[in-house]
Amino acid sequence: MKSKSIKKVKVKFKLNGKELELETKPNKRLLDLLRDDLNLTGTKEGCSIGECGACTVIMNGKAVNSCLVLAGEINNSEIITIEGIAQNGNLHPLQENFLKYGAVQCGFCTPGMILSAYALLRVNPEPDEETIKEAIAGNLCRCTGYKQIIEAIKHSTKITDG
Amino acid sequence: MNPEFNYIAPLNLNSALKILSASKSRAKILAGGTDIIPGFHIGSKRFSSTELLIDIKRIRGLDTIKEYKNFVEIGACVTFSQLSESEIIRKYFPLLAKAAETIGSVQIRNRATVVGNFVNNAPCADSVPPLLVYDAKIQIQSLNRKREISLQKFLIKSYTTALKKNEIVTKILIPKPEPELKGDFYKLGRRRAVAISRISLAVLMKTKNSLIEEIRIASGAVTPIGTRLYELEKFARGKAANSDTFKELSIQLGKKVLEITGLRWSSEYKLPVLQQTFYQLLEKVSRDEI
Amino acid sequence: MKEKFNVVGKPVIREDGKAKVTGQAKFADDYKFPNMIFGVMVRTKATHAIIKKIDYSEIENDKHIITIVDAKDIKGLKKTGLIRKDQPVFAFEKIVTPGDVVAMLLGEDEDKLRLLAKKVKVELEELPVLNDPEKALNEDSPLIHPEFGSNLIVHHPLRKGDIEKGFAESDFILEQTYTTPHIEHAYLEPECVIAIPLGEKGIHIIGSIQNPFTARRIVAEVINYPLNKVKIEQAELGGSFGGKDDLMCILSARAAVAALKTNRPVKIRYTREESILESYKRHPYRMHYKVGYTKDGKIKAMKIDILADGGAYCSMTPFVTWRSVVQATGPYEIENVWTDVRGVYTNNPYTGAMRGFGSPQIIFAQESLMDDIAVHLGITPDEIRRINGYRQGSITASGQRLENHEVNLLKVLDTACNETNFREKWIENEKHHNRRIPTIEFKENILKRNLILSKNEFINPDDIIKKGIGLAVSFRGSSLGAEGIDAAASYLSIQNDGSAYLLCGLAENGQGMRTAYAIIVSEILGIPVENIYYLEMTTAHIPDSGPTVASRSTIMGGGAVKNSAEILRKRFEDFLKDYWKLNENDLIVFENNEVYVKGKENLKLSFPEFANLAYKNGICLSSIGWYPGPKIHWEEETGHGSAYFTYVYGCQVAEVRVNIITGEVYVDRVTAVHDPGKVINLLGALGQVYGGVTQGVGYAIFEELDKHNGLPRELNFDQYIIPTSKDVGEIIPIFVEGKDEFGPWGAKSLGEPTLELTAAAINNAIRNAVGERYFNLPVNLEEVLLKRKLRPEDLKRGSL
Repeated sequence: MKSKSIKKVKVKFKLNGKELELETKPNKRLLDLLRDDLNLTGTKEGCSIGECGACTVIMNGKAVNSCLVLAGEINNSEIITIEGIAQNGNLHPLQENFLKYGAVQCGFCTPGMILSAYALLRVNPEPDEETIKEAIAGNLCRCTGYKQIIEAIKHSTKITDG
Repeated sequence: MNPEFNYIAPLNLNSALKILSASKSRAKILAGGTDIIPGFHIGSKRFSSTELLIDIKRIRGLDTIKEYKNFVEIGACVTFSQLSESEIIRKYFPLLAKAAETIGSVQIRNRATVVGNFVNNAPCADSVPPLLVYDAKIQIQSLNRKREISLQKFLIKSYTTALKKNEIVTKILIPKPEPELKGDFYKLGRRRAVAISRISLAVLMKTKNSLIEEIRIASGAVTPIGTRLYELEKFARGKAANSDTFKELSIQLGKKVLEITGLRWSSEYKLPVLQQTFYQLLEKVSRDEI
Repeated sequence: MKEKFNVVGKPVIREDGKAKVTGQAKFADDYKFPNMIFGVMVRTKATHAIIKKIDYSEIENDKHIITIVDAKDIKGLKKTGLIRKDQPVFAFEKIVTPGDVVAMLLGEDEDKLRLLAKKVKVELEELPVLNDPEKALNEDSPLIHPEFGSNLIVHHPLRKGDIEKGFAESDFILEQTYTTPHIEHAYLEPECVIAIPLGEKGIHIIGSIQNPFTARRIVAEVINYPLNKVKIEQAELGGSFGGKDDLMCILSARAAVAALKTNRPVKIRYTREESILESYKRHPYRMHYKVGYTKDGKIKAMKIDILADGGAYCSMTPFVTWRSVVQATGPYEIENVWTDVRGVYTNNPYTGAMRGFGSPQIIFAQESLMDDIAVHLGITPDEIRRINGYRQGSITASGQRLENHEVNLLKVLDTACNETNFREKWIENEKHHNRRIPTIEFKENILKRNLILSKNEFINPDDIIKKGIGLAVSFRGSSLGAEGIDAAASYLSIQNDGSAYLLCGLAENGQGMRTAYAIIVSEILGIPVENIYYLEMTTAHIPDSGPTVASRSTIMGGGAVKNSAEILRKRFEDFLKDYWKLNENDLIVFENNEVYVKGKENLKLSFPEFANLAYKNGICLSSIGWYPGPKIHWEEETGHGSAYFTYVYGCQVAEVRVNIITGEVYVDRVTAVHDPGKVINLLGALGQVYGGVTQGVGYAIFEELDKHNGLPRELNFDQYIIPTSKDVGEIIPIFVEGKDEFGPWGAKSLGEPTLELTAAAINNAIRNAVGERYFNLPVNLEEVLLKRKLRPEDLKRGSL
């Protein structure tokens, strides 16, 4: 084991609309920061190498794999997790439609899937089916075959709060 | 699992270079992190001795695409998303934009950088064939020197480049091609999204009076590193732009790749497919041009 | 039989949906406990070896290690297993496959433990490695588990009629061999379990556990506790598909041993790499079929020889292969059948239950074969199936007469053919085989040809894409069949405000079982689905209902839930008849959260009012429902018997495009016609079809877990590729709801049928497109062009 000293990193960022400032180990992934330190366990870990998308969060408006982001990298950024999508107890239209169209089975991919769709609708409120498929191609799902997920996203167009 | 390392995000290039040269090779540059962090997870030897990560994303000016009169500059922190969305890139370097769209997933493209794609010189880096046919150069800086080198020269062999331990790749410089050069990028993967390339190809071609006046060809994933095929280009120039030539060129490409790569476990599949798909690509480029 | 339904068959939103879309649903790794420590596995680099010594000296004094557990810490059974006790909780005699674990390190810093795990020195004596199931049966092969005397795990014979006579009466004989690979379940959630010691009260285990009662039995026998001191709680399960059974039992046992030793909560959570390395897979099959048929297309005889790679442990191999022996001929009435299915030990990853359970393999073989017979006879694929397919009263290979349910095989076939215009498209595609796949033709001499094309081998751009359509049909026994004890329990408790608690002894694996059960209660008692609270699944609160496998949750658990609701309904009706002083003929209706008497509007209560009233009148508002499966029997020596008490039928039609220069197959459309019996939740049923078909597409053209000396090559999703949102075109589900006396209103099974047909249909579609028959799954790029797989010599990642 290396003997050199490890200096904690200090980060200031906005998480689901709230300003946060904290210190953490520099090798900590954003995923672990959320799950372990902040107890936001809606973000899931499925592969640890950016292939499955279960850990997707929104960083500065864009979908990213939180398993591939280091704590230090989020300094001055804005992060949105699945816990920050519903407003004042009201489900986001994407969440409503995931329920309505049967887009949820085991639910493990669901948070990442919703956040990828959320990021898409922010910049493209009326995506066509191919664009939706591309937006969630980095979110693996083994249960649903994606069809009801695509339906749910299709029916959430134009109503996102952006 | 990440090893223990320190993390620093300098605000200007000079301090990044200072830290780098002081670190005596135990530091790694961090841009998108989509290669190095999975590398940590699988315990890759390429990264296991990392004690310091120098995040260059806070350095001003490295995250932009700039258009100059004769060339375009892509900063070291420009992501594939930026690239595929850039009007400038789409206009002058459509093959690069297309390659950018096919890399990884949205989440990966939002983080992964173009420079990061080739700076480790993995054989299946999809941006390399387009960059090679556009004659891309890269700018490299160390504390006391700034140099430019063609990408083809930078890529030495699999996982080896001309980058020295105290240097950082700061930008890619691509001359604007003459407008008559038309082309396409082709990628074959095992599935339709988030696929590692089995074959990638880039071609730029200009014809005059049904003759090939200029052609540039590069391949990826079929040779140990992305390769510009100058001999093939020389052979093609002046030949008729017709199916017969395209078949001949495809055969030549097959021979060249066999010569460079030798027989591999995958050759039985890849070599015939390479020739067939290259032929299709040439036909397509030539049809689109008319 | 009830014909009009208020809730059943409608699209109903999942009861767990809201928690899942908001990130509140708690999966196993989302649980944390004070004082909790982590367990990290120690493995060796060996595939097959005798363990001489485990040396912890380099790490045992490390400050990060609280303790180390291995086989010496086990007070009960050191070896366990669902059927055969051949799998050690911690390996102590031998390593038999690379996933084997010799010890577990306990400590607070999981990352540190992972580094330390590599420093344990295990002294080994290497043994010859058996990777080929056929060689494993050789006389001189070493025995993987010497205590069982043979590498043969199981042999299921089936004999019907006179096979030689059948062949003699045939005009033609066709013989083919088919293979299928190891398949990873690829649930998105890796394994995780936590064991919490409760002192005198025993131990509490929370985990991603598919079958809590099985896990309880295994844990109890490993730690030597009575069953009532082992409480297994199922966390939300992030997918299973049959995959979170054996391994989760073992992980639960490891966590329990460590928790009792340290008296602290112990969490084990796997990385994706560990998950793929140690978890069991779908069985690879090598299947030899010999079929005799007349020129009219009547199949006279079928001889089937199947060898299943069971891998290093027995797991569910005897039951998986048993389903294969029952269904191996496909849904065809054949007078003379001779089937042998064998499961065998190798040093490969062990194989067990996975969605389909011994059926996707045989359907791939038998449905490919049926198409070849059709092509040979010059008839269409649907015709050959009409000639031979099961009808009402048909007799199966095991001698069972199909009579107690609607035998809808031909109905699903006709529906699928009409829906897709199958025959016309198939005939049209058959005309376009003029340009064959170029590379297959020279595969014999491929290296000599130096792989360089000649000019006449290049393909015209317009000829590259070939279209194909193909179909496959199946019958499938519902639930466990003669595999095991088949019964389920349910607990229903109405509260005096009219809300309800519901629990069944089966487990929610993500398929939507809990919602289906709530619908059943709602249908019978009129309680709105949203007023039914589904209780957390723990083994302490409900009778053992067997495993949640074999697509049995709707038919068996649904039957139990229906029973519990009917018990209450009967009790409530008796009470009201008395209370309202009704006549014998008065009809009491429970619907829309109300109770009333038909035709007597004044006799009406809201359900909450009714519940309160009944409670005050001393009526018990709770019940335990029970649903035992009907009696079935099986003669192991001859393969005779009524294997399952009922069956479901399906037909899928796949439409594909094949790129003949790259070997890419794109699945444009799958039309999936299934008779699952009565559909309970339309939204959930559709989801089963979409998901099952998509897994089937993966099985057909992408997925394969390759091994290097028994070690999986593909340890994560960058290498083991499953379909993404862009890889499957349209999926069109159609339900033909056959009547049945079993299950809730005749509701049977759907989860597995949706997957089992797809690869066979796609393979037939590819043949229709290019005129080539493929015998080895997956039909991936190399298979399409070369009819074989190419593999690197070593484990190197990367692409060249």
